[in-house]
Amino acid sequence: MSKTVKMKKVKIKFNLNGKDTVLSVNPNRRLIDLLREDLNLTGTKEGCAIGECGACTVIIDGKTANSCLVLAAQINGCKITTIEGIASDGKLHPLQENFMKHGAIQCGFCTPGMVLSAYTLLEEVTNPSEDEIKEAIAGNLCRCTGYKQIIEAVRQSIVKV
Amino acid sequence: MIPQLNFVSAKSIQSAIKLLTSDKNARLIAGGTDVIPGFQIESKRFNDIKFLIDINSIKELKKIKRFNDRIEIGACTSFSELLFNEIIQSELPLLVKAASTVGSTQIRNRATLGGNFINNAPCADSVPPLLVYNAQVEICSSRGKKQIPLEKFLIEPYKTKLKKNEIVTKIIIPLQKKNIKGDFYKLGRRRAVAISRISLAVLVELENSIIKDIRIASGAVTPIGVRFYELEKLALGKKADSEFLKKLSAELGRTILKVTGLRWSTPYKLPVVQQMFYKLLESVCHE
Repeated sequence: MSKTVKMKKVKIKFNLNGKDTVLSVNPNRRLIDLLREDLNLTGTKEGCAIGECGACTVIIDGKTANSCLVLAAQINGCKITTIEGIASDGKLHPLQENFMKHGAIQCGFCTPGMVLSAYTLLEEVTNPSEDEIKEAIAGNLCRCTGYKQIIEAVRQSIVKV
Repeated sequence: MIPQLNFVSAKSIQSAIKLLTSDKNARLIAGGTDVIPGFQIESKRFNDIKFLIDINSIKELKKIKRFNDRIEIGACTSFSELLFNEIIQSELPLLVKAASTVGSTQIRNRATLGGNFINNAPCADSVPPLLVYNAQVEICSSRGKKQIPLEKFLIEPYKTKLKKNEIVTKIIIPLQKKNIKGDFYKLGRRRAVAISRISLAVLVELENSIIKDIRIASGAVTPIGVRFYELEKLALGKKADSEFLKKLSAELGRTILKVTGLRWSTPYKLPVVQQMFYKLLESVCHE
């Protein structure tokens, strides 16, 4: 069968939740493994590992992505935001507050991904409609099926302008 | 599990070609939304990869340009970039509609147009629109550039004309006539993150209700994306009344059945294909 490959580590520089970071990573390391196992940022969850459930959603250069489908080596030069990076000065983001307030958390496994998908929507769109909210979280599955509460929590987080 | 492999981020098309040539187990990666889950499920399509060459940061592969007679789309343009690009929005609405049905926001932010058809998976959502738009594919190798029509590029399921040391760099689409109208239809098991079961695209040019030009393509419902030239020929010069559109839709179903043969899903899919194609035609011709 195939002989083993001698892997050469890849050096990556990136910004993680506002902090410049330099690391050497194995070429077959996924971004989610780098975050959870090497950097102990376990807020990002692994569900399906094939890009269907969205539990591993992170923000790369302002756009959401499934961190299970990105190699760590591919994020050189990028700005990464994880669920740990949206609170500021020890204060939760309004989306996080509203998820709690409106019962949008049941088992909590989908929550980090849901919050980051909603966060990106609110960054990009002023006054998003309910359809736009649904579209924004269509790549995030909630097995507890608490979608109604999640949509409500996002709706309540819209800063009216 | 991602297998043991090596990784390099290529800085230019030329260096990517050189790297590809240097290792027979090298393969390109762009968005990674096919390759990486392919590794996870131990797909045979990817089990020979020992070296990944990332072409995501080659700026030239991400440009969308409009010329007098054509639009050129860099192969590494993501579906999100396509969706929000004004040139694509105004000139290639079917491609926008197809792009909007790909995966989820997370997938569309990473997945690229080139990556969508380069593996020639029948479910590639961009293929039916690209076929009706008469898209050409630009291929680069150390010997230079060449262009071939997408429909010639796609040979059979998971097989294309692309050789080992070649890269698809651009998708070139002729500017369409203003009075040509069309639509795209996709059926998946659910609305988001769904693999296409049926996809269809059609473009029609009418003059006083007479069909002057018509282009019909399918995706997931045939082994690979194809154009239906015989049906198109049959429709040319005909009056686009409901009676004829029904006849054409029934004929499309029969033609597809000839290509695929009877399958377990035929009793369900065939009427859906015929009904949905009829609906597409009605909305394109009469609205």
